[in-house]
Amino acid sequence: MRDLHLPLNQTQRVRLEAALHELQTLAPAAASAAAVTVADTIPVNHEDNILKGHGTTDQDGEVVATLCGVVERVNKLVYVRTLRARYKPEVGDIIVGRVIEIAPKRWRLEINFSQDAVLMLSSMNLPDGIQRRRTAVDELNMRSIFEENDVVCAEVRGFQHDGSLHLQARSQKYGKLKRGQLLTVPPYLVKRRKQHFHHLEQYDVDLILGCNGFIWVGEHVVVNEITTFNEDQEKLSAEVETFTPMETRKHICRLANAARVLSALGFTLTIELIIQTAEASLSSNVKINDMLGAEFYVQTAETEAKRRADLLGRKKGGAR
Amino acid sequence: MSAAAAASGTYTPAAEAGGKRREKREELRRHLAEDADWPRADGRSIHDCRPAFMQTGPTTAASGSAYAEFGKTKVIVSVFGPRESKKAMLYSDTGRLNCSVSYTTFATGIRGQGLENKEYSGMLHKALEGAVMLHTFPKTTVDVFALVLESGGSDLPIIISCASLALADAGIMMYDLVTSVSVSCLGKNVIIDPTSDEEAWQDGGLMVSYMPTRREITQLTLTGEWSDGKITNAVELCMDACGKLCEILRERLKDTAVLESE
Amino acid sequence: MVGLSEGEKHFIRGGIAQDLRADGRTRLQFRAVTVETGIIPQANGSARVRMGATEVIASVKAELGKPTILHPGKGKVSIYVDCSPTAAPMFEGRGSEELSAELSVALQRCLLGGKSGAGAAIDLSSLIVIEGKACWDLYIDGLVVSSDGNLLDALAAAIKVALSDTGIPKVNVSLNAETDGEPEFDISDEDFLQFDTSSVPVIVTLTKVGKHYIVDATSEEESQMSSAVSVSVNRLGQICGMTKRGGAGLDPSVIFDMISVAKHVSQRFISLLDSEIAAAEAADAE
Repeated sequence: MRDLHLPLNQTQRVRLEAALHELQTLAPAAASAAAVTVADTIPVNHEDNILKGHGTTDQDGEVVATLCGVVERVNKLVYVRTLRARYKPEVGDIIVGRVIEIAPKRWRLEINFSQDAVLMLSSMNLPDGIQRRRTAVDELNMRSIFEENDVVCAEVRGFQHDGSLHLQARSQKYGKLKRGQLLTVPPYLVKRRKQHFHHLEQYDVDLILGCNGFIWVGEHVVVNEITTFNEDQEKLSAEVETFTPMETRKHICRLANAARVLSALGFTLTIELIIQTAEASLSSNVKINDMLGAEFYVQTAETEAKRRADLLGRKKGGAR
Repeated sequence: MSAAAAASGTYTPAAEAGGKRREKREELRRHLAEDADWPRADGRSIHDCRPAFMQTGPTTAASGSAYAEFGKTKVIVSVFGPRESKKAMLYSDTGRLNCSVSYTTFATGIRGQGLENKEYSGMLHKALEGAVMLHTFPKTTVDVFALVLESGGSDLPIIISCASLALADAGIMMYDLVTSVSVSCLGKNVIIDPTSDEEAWQDGGLMVSYMPTRREITQLTLTGEWSDGKITNAVELCMDACGKLCEILRERLKDTAVLESE
Repeated sequence: MVGLSEGEKHFIRGGIAQDLRADGRTRLQFRAVTVETGIIPQANGSARVRMGATEVIASVKAELGKPTILHPGKGKVSIYVDCSPTAAPMFEGRGSEELSAELSVALQRCLLGGKSGAGAAIDLSSLIVIEGKACWDLYIDGLVVSSDGNLLDALAAAIKVALSDTGIPKVNVSLNAETDGEPEFDISDEDFLQFDTSSVPVIVTLTKVGKHYIVDATSEEESQMSSAVSVSVNRLGQICGMTKRGGAGLDPSVIFDMISVAKHVSQRFISLLDSEIAAAEAADAE
């Protein structure tokens, strides 16, 4: 958990420490045992032919760690997994990125990774929906599809030879994200699940949890419209006067603040947790901007500690 | 003493020694702080501006240029552009305005004193960017270079007015001409268009850059302690003076146009 | 500063129009302010102020110097702001020069008053040691550690808190006949003069987006502004300085309206800061 700059008074500090302590004891015991720092020796059985993986090196016959993290063993492979890693992409990940440059036949996106990702023009559906070869005219009209600084949702298609990512946005649910907010959280807090697109009906809000740590909270967009680019332009200029309705905006703010508090606390972000936190704030009548204040922060930590304790208790009870 | 020195034929310094000059200035300042009708050092009343002399076209190499002389303040501004942006890689659908103000080393009484005013470049930019239609020259840059030949007080407002004239002379599209006037606050009185002596003892200052036809203020800076009513009066005084200065600029531009068409 | 897409900009503008900003605040609400004093032991006074993700540090150092010829009865104050590259990589080297100069000048304008010294936040004649020969030079330095909008307000608040924490050591002057009339200074380590900061003004920046003004804009909201007016108000409600930034022109009536809104908001901010200063002093005294 990163150091937080909230002014906590004495009681709040005590409560927060108690909650965090409880969470730590509830964490699976195995994880804490195998933590190593740089230059720690990793205990291995020298008779097996151990494969030295990522984050280890050989020093005087001993396997020594070069990263700080947790030792993982898979059959004969021993490697060190860092706790606060930079985003590690895999094929099929759903990510949210921002366009930083338009290059010949491709867009370059920033995705909170060491290199920028590339979205080829051929990996993107044309506005008129026809499947055809991309011509020079299409290349000149790239700006009408995505401009600089647009927020785009896409899927990882593969890796290029230099390690940067190749993206594709061929399905209807990928593409430009319009009315809403983009939040940045540490990428290791978003675990890979089956579903990353969440449409919350009760709030009429779309929530996209990008695996790279970019989270999009915005107005719901009906997916199956095939809008041509002209129609889009007209809609945008007509939208100038009609802002997001107040109710939806309140829900968007609440969900965004819930995500901010959870990421500051260092809890894994799942859709259920975010909804729960937002509802907890509604039920305890916390005003939206007070969600980022000290009281709600401590409250959330305590609720989470209780929830995990309950879960563990139920598991143990069920096992018996 | 001075008669003897004059008889010997050597160069005589000013008749009054430094201390006496300071005293006279102090007295003038006290009078101005109290009395609204006391004439200033150059004979103006507190609501008179200095006579403005402005002319276009002193620099032939530039797309547009202007020279302004207000009493002891002399400023020359050259405008180059629109030219290709060096940072042409960054796509932008608006043009860039690049302003730079520099003082000559002999501009002030003490050599090199004007070099402290580095922030004038940024302030000139802020005053002008509201008036220039940047979207009419995308991907290019317009450079505005101002040089202060002599600094006699109220420098920045004169630089701004002169720069507007130069931009108009260069044919850059603008919403309106920006003119600028500053006032100083001395005791109870508000003095318009101060000289550098008056600025040195001011209790507070206010500078307004105004577009008279559109009735918009592009920049406003205020120093010192002011009450609400005083601010309103001073701003209105400045806007009025800006309007009159704008008329002078327009006449100058019309003269130049007439000359060119002949 | 990261760019924003059209949709995001539209969302921010809509939020401001509907009085519910991206993080849930209303238009005239400040972010939570955290204040710490005495963080730099070698300085005479120091403070760190955090407003949301914006973090600035102010330090005050006093050194003995000579007063200028024009004002032999007054000390000297100089204010300088530096933007550290830790705030944004573009601040490295000369990248931050323009921003630092702009901030330094705006702060000087608000805190030092007119050239004759009237309306200054600090009474310069209290800094004099020997008239005409020796005075205290105050060097006030601001450092921007992390930037998320509203730097000017945070810096002015940090300077106010740092000045309240400043102690000028007492000087014992002895005129020694042997050293040819040059006085000797004995700077005591014990006694300190504290500043009275009740007359130090705060700066409130009102950012105009669309038809409405907001207070304490984040850097995303600042990217949407048409213009911003920073007004410096002291506890008595008098205006001590004003700067207008931004490309669009403003109608004069709008400016007068912004001044009155700023006066109203600043009273709240001043009382908030004063209570923080008192809390910090109480914590120090323990």
